[in-house]
Amino acid sequence: MKTILYTLCFLLVFSGCSSPFVEDNTVEEIAPVTFWSLNQGKGGKLEITTLVPPVTNEKKQVLTLNVDLLKQGKKEFNLKFYRELKLGQLRMLIINEKLAKKEIISLIDTILSDPDVSPRLFLVLVRGSFEDFLENEGKVQKNLDYYLYRMFRHYERRNQGEMSIVNLHEFMEKVYSPYSDPVLPIFKADKDNFTYEGTALFNENKYVGSINKREDQMFQLIANDHYLKNLPIPHLKVSLGQVRSKVHMQVDDHFKTLNIHVLIKGRIDEYRGHRNILSRSEMNKMTDDIQSYLQRETVGLVKETQRLKIEPLEVGAHTYSPLTHPVTRKVWLDHYEKMKVHVKYSVKIEPLSL
Amino acid sequence: MSSRFHLFDRTAVMGSGYILAMVNRMQMLYYVLILPKHLVHPYMMAGILGVGFLSQINLSILSKYLTSNYFVLGYHGFVQLFSEKMVRFFAFLGIFFILMKVIVTTLGYVEIVHQFMFPSMKTNWLIFVLIASGFYIASQGMEKTIRLSIIGFLATIWVILVYIPYFMPPIAKTHHLYPLVPGEGLLHSWYGLLMVWSALSGPEYLVCLGPWIGPKEKILRGMSIGNALSVFEYLVLFAACILYYGSPYLEKISFPVVNMIRYLQSPVFERVDIILISLNMIYFLYFIALFLLCLYGAIRIAAGRININTNRKGFLVCVIAVFIGMLVINGWYWREGQELNVWMTLQLWLGAITYLLVPSVLAIAMKWKRGQSR
Repeated sequence: MKTILYTLCFLLVFSGCSSPFVEDNTVEEIAPVTFWSLNQGKGGKLEITTLVPPVTNEKKQVLTLNVDLLKQGKKEFNLKFYRELKLGQLRMLIINEKLAKKEIISLIDTILSDPDVSPRLFLVLVRGSFEDFLENEGKVQKNLDYYLYRMFRHYERRNQGEMSIVNLHEFMEKVYSPYSDPVLPIFKADKDNFTYEGTALFNENKYVGSINKREDQMFQLIANDHYLKNLPIPHLKVSLGQVRSKVHMQVDDHFKTLNIHVLIKGRIDEYRGHRNILSRSEMNKMTDDIQSYLQRETVGLVKETQRLKIEPLEVGAHTYSPLTHPVTRKVWLDHYEKMKVHVKYSVKIEPLSL
Repeated sequence: MSSRFHLFDRTAVMGSGYILAMVNRMQMLYYVLILPKHLVHPYMMAGILGVGFLSQINLSILSKYLTSNYFVLGYHGFVQLFSEKMVRFFAFLGIFFILMKVIVTTLGYVEIVHQFMFPSMKTNWLIFVLIASGFYIASQGMEKTIRLSIIGFLATIWVILVYIPYFMPPIAKTHHLYPLVPGEGLLHSWYGLLMVWSALSGPEYLVCLGPWIGPKEKILRGMSIGNALSVFEYLVLFAACILYYGSPYLEKISFPVVNMIRYLQSPVFERVDIILISLNMIYFLYFIALFLLCLYGAIRIAAGRININTNRKGFLVCVIAVFIGMLVINGWYWREGQELNVWMTLQLWLGAITYLLVPSVLAIAMKWKRGQSR
């Protein structure tokens, strides 16, 4: 019996008896960073920035590195910082717009294939210098990284139409899906501010353009959240609140025309014009104005996607049916580009009452 | 050390609950985790149902033997049905089939654990831990191992509820489910169907457990429920994967099911996948223990030592041999990656073949025997 046990021990030694646990995750010894900010560095390198230490109650500092490879960044951080960097708590990947124009998918693929990183990681594009913002604001706000994460999480959870919040999985799923293209939120950063700017548009995995804040509202209504907490229309001097939309898209059999019918329900939050909107006829006029405004804006948005030949609105998905085979992406986009667009809005506004 | 070491004692007969648990958990082993990647298209849901139905027919053929008098006699039943020489020959063949199944399934599971839980750990350690625990369970004897099946079943069946969020928006995208009719390229899907069949294999090994399971009337019912439950679980998993990934993306993922679970976040514990992978270990261990016992039995039959008492040494040597086999395959021939490796493919075919042949061969042999005795 003993010989057998010895053999077993020998086998273990033979199979390499170094300690099986290499990783050490003692909280005091690691730095589980919550975000990585990527920018174009000098000489075609990547510039990686993060805020350390993320957990313990010490003074935070911004660490920046110039590296060739994303994961090299992790190694270099360790050589520079006294705690080991861990990616298990990585929550946000902040990519500079300029870098995104050059390459984005290789960066995202790297992050995706790391089993430590959750597929719920938020992806964000930044216009301007996020590093400056960190440097400056990091001094004032103690838990800046955590607050940023909470902000994304807040707007992701209920889809309340303030921002398009996209996570890693949603992005990749749309990259591969033939009839839809991914979008990302785009923020503007400078020394003092970090502001939502609109939605960045992609053609499969290439960054091709963006829509501004005003158009973004239409995007939220007809494609993303189907809800807006607040829809200001400055030139009508009116602001609508709690706007819910129901969208019917219809493409005819020959892919010649696209009919979009949007039902909107909301109420007037604020009105600073001269109409007496308590009277029915005046109110009807008002509704007509709002309808034609929304129509114009939406047509503009759809035309923009047609011009870029992309599908963030997922129009093609509405042509799917259980029994027919969809045409390929290329054929569909060729049709989509030339399609005539008819947009019709039915706006229902709850009467003002106190 | 006790002088008594009886692996194959029998004090009780396990009813339909155990049969259900055994059949179901055997069918939920490794292949189901990679299955969605090979099925890809939504219309393969019908394929799963179809193969599940065939599997049901196969089980009812199998039950012909399981309800006969030969089955209750165990080894002696086989000897009556065939001759002793033939039984030894079959046992000899069986050694390879069992060895293959044990090795490939364990290594497959180890690969998942390695990739998602302990990327920095040597896989040999993981294999050692699994085999050592399997050995411990097996050395408690066949009866206790079979009893473990119901624990494994109860401990893991609820996992199906975890997939509910994948059927609801915003995670689920309904348009991924379309089209439901097959187009061109239908011929390519035979491989996926073969995989479903192979994943459903496993219940044929019940023939080795003659003395322990019964009573006769309940066997087929237990097996049918187990099989139906497995098919249902396959469907749920596959539909969830389709809704979550969509076909084009699904094709690119090596471990779709595990990756999908990573998307869940519980407020208490973020890495839900780690808990679920560890939970799966319960029935992987039960499976390893059961098959180590079967292997030991097969070796004893093949060597003609069936009448000599079981002893610890012999069993340990047998287990160590399996362990070494795993280390060798893992070290030299096992390549992690997107495509199925040689061993996986081989086991895919072997599993499919045994599941197809064992029930019908036994049924034919019984018919032939009956014709002879008349």
